[in-house]
Amino acid sequence: MKCRMMQNVLLMAFQLLIFPGLVFLILLAFIFEWIDRKVVARIQSRYGPLYTGASGILQPLADFIKLLSKEDLTPESADKLIFTLTPLLSLSLVLTALFLFPMASSHAIINFEGDLIFLMFILTLTVLNVALAGYGSASSYSVIGGVRSALQLIGYEIPLAISLVGPSLSVGSLSISKIVEWQASKGLWMILLQPLGFAVSMICLLAELEMIPFDIPEAETEIVAGWMTEFSGRKLALFRVSKDLKMLLTTALLASLYLGGAQQLGLAPPIIVFLAKTISMLLLMSLLRALFARFRIDQLVSGMWKYLIPLAILQVMLVCLGARG
Amino acid sequence: MNCEASILLLSAFVLSFALAISLYTIGGRISPRSREERRRAGKTIPYACGEEPPPIKETRINCERFFIFAVFFMIFDVFAFMVAISYSAPAYLSVLYSLIAMMAVTLLIVRKA
Repeated sequence: MKCRMMQNVLLMAFQLLIFPGLVFLILLAFIFEWIDRKVVARIQSRYGPLYTGASGILQPLADFIKLLSKEDLTPESADKLIFTLTPLLSLSLVLTALFLFPMASSHAIINFEGDLIFLMFILTLTVLNVALAGYGSASSYSVIGGVRSALQLIGYEIPLAISLVGPSLSVGSLSISKIVEWQASKGLWMILLQPLGFAVSMICLLAELEMIPFDIPEAETEIVAGWMTEFSGRKLALFRVSKDLKMLLTTALLASLYLGGAQQLGLAPPIIVFLAKTISMLLLMSLLRALFARFRIDQLVSGMWKYLIPLAILQVMLVCLGARG
Repeated sequence: MNCEASILLLSAFVLSFALAISLYTIGGRISPRSREERRRAGKTIPYACGEEPPPIKETRINCERFFIFAVFFMIFDVFAFMVAISYSAPAYLSVLYSLIAMMAVTLLIVRKA
């Protein structure tokens, strides 16, 4: 009995720390950054990362180590506590959210009824963290970037929340693992049932990631690096790696809710299927990032309310009529 | 939410935070210390391309034109949550509720445009 319990605890620790856990997630995040940079560079007729490792695959890791070993400066006017805490929080929040997704099997490590709501809560918290980081660094560029990021939240949070509700309404559960299971048992992907919801959440997640059509908070041609301007050294390294992890988080969210997530397909184990789906979502995002130019902040907020929210509500109505009408 | 899940969630957060702190400390060990002469060299003033940075009190952002969106944001957060937990309610109620929300959005669009 005791031996059995010990085994369980060890297995859990292995899952949390190594395999679908911290080490795996961070390495995967670096690979995702490499794919994103390489794809965008090739679309723009550049080479992208080239020298570190095979076709530059180790470049994100090298960048991370370089940033860690750089001098860490704190501006005199900055709020020291906020300035130190926000990089740590941004990394740990995104990592915690990643445990909610089923990767190695059809069940996530942490799954409970309502974890979709918890996930939305964490997505909002990361944006508030960004606004706080901009405010705490007390530089004009940072404050403008932080306020822009909070304003952007007003635009995309609602359509994202409404469209993510769609899959859970069809399944009748607010747990990501159950939504994945439902799609595997029906042999049907949610994207076929709710293409509108998929498109809306894709656009909103681009805004969440601050990727190019919506990179208003860190618009480098206007406000240097936005809310990240004053961060350097290890703090910037933590922000960079948490951005890569957020990329993994959003692609995992799309793959799990709309593409069936980690399911057994023929001989392929769930983790391979999951990686294939997330990487295809990442390629789509990189393509969109390379295609578009930046919007203005008022265009973003009013555009989201004009087009995306009616579409998201329409999707929810269609789901209600179709699933239970 | 059962007991096991909450313990796991807490331990996942603690582990992630511990990882962040350890990366932070490793960074502190391998990076050069910022010394007093560097501080005097102007490295710790806010970035402004070597010009005198504008005082932070003068940086004001006009958020007034987004006020109406902020109000709608608050209302629709409730809407999204209500729809999220409505899967056991009859379908026509959810559709009716969504229709009312849609009318509110239409009002916003017409008024702003």
